[in-house]
Amino acid sequence: MSRTRRVLIGVAILIVVGGALLGLEAARRRRLTEADLEPGSIPIYVEGDLAAAFAPDDRERLEQVAFQDAEEGKTQEGWMLRDVLRLHLAEKSLTPGTLITVSSGSRGKSVQLTWAEVDSEENMVMFDLSGRGTLKLVSKLNRLDVRDEWVQDADRIEVNQP
Amino acid sequence: MKERYFTTFRLILLALFAALVVVAKIALRTPLQMPGHSGIFWMAIVIVAAGVVPKAGAASIVGLTSGILAGFLGMGDFGALNTFLSYTAVGVGTDLALLLLQDPENPATSALSAALGHMGKFVVKWALSAITGAPAGFVALGLARALVGYIVFGALGGLLGALTLKALRRAGFFAYVAEKR
Repeated sequence: MSRTRRVLIGVAILIVVGGALLGLEAARRRRLTEADLEPGSIPIYVEGDLAAAFAPDDRERLEQVAFQDAEEGKTQEGWMLRDVLRLHLAEKSLTPGTLITVSSGSRGKSVQLTWAEVDSEENMVMFDLSGRGTLKLVSKLNRLDVRDEWVQDADRIEVNQP
Repeated sequence: MKERYFTTFRLILLALFAALVVVAKIALRTPLQMPGHSGIFWMAIVIVAAGVVPKAGAASIVGLTSGILAGFLGMGDFGALNTFLSYTAVGVGTDLALLLLQDPENPATSALSAALGHMGKFVVKWALSAITGAPAGFVALGLARALVGYIVFGALGGLLGALTLKALRRAGFFAYVAEKR
């Protein structure tokens, strides 16, 4: 067999394997349901489809940050929401106007923020690990800087384009 | 007496290349925040190993040995098994590619072999991520972009390996090794 022919076969294998991988990944993402998630994970929905989840193991991989809340002066310590989203979503899917909704089914609370707000370091939009082991969304943002406004027991993140 | 498939001298050479892969991974840093960029170094080493020991299985031995070394050194973010399997996949993938393409000294076949070998690592990482649910670092950047990164940097590493092999041949290294063997 000539070298050219072998190279062409090699290129074909490269394309077929790469294409198969991308196809399988797309199918896997479509099949993902909340039942597949690790207990304690917060599902991340993109345009209504389950795309990923903030799993307990992810916390070890993200940098921990902290700030003192203005209301009670307590230290809120945890993981920035922007880091969580960047860990699981492609950067291009997060534009300044992208709407991010964090909600708690058990508390019936939710908050909607833009990616620009979430991405701003001074806003400190982050998950704090509560004493009960659940995550609450806290921040320094005016509309999310006191206990009543925080989203305790957060159990869903939604990402939508405006 | 029946000749062994890999002589002790060749096995020692391959073990040295395996150690070099691990050292390169630890010591050589590039400021590129792109998945697979380290492939430019270690695919060059794997291709050189396959050229210096021109027998099927040579790259696999380098991958396997470097995987064991890297696993014991605690390299990689997702545990020893992930590290071991992904390093091994590089070697096995390169070997399989070289079975088809042959001639690691040719820049085109070498680059393609290295790209295929490096893609083997990517496939293993993706498969482990899919099976165990462990997050894969490349997910954040998008699978397609990461895959392209692995292929491109693998190919560049292969090209570097082919050029190194040519330089070694010009310097008389292969004649020297033939004498020592």
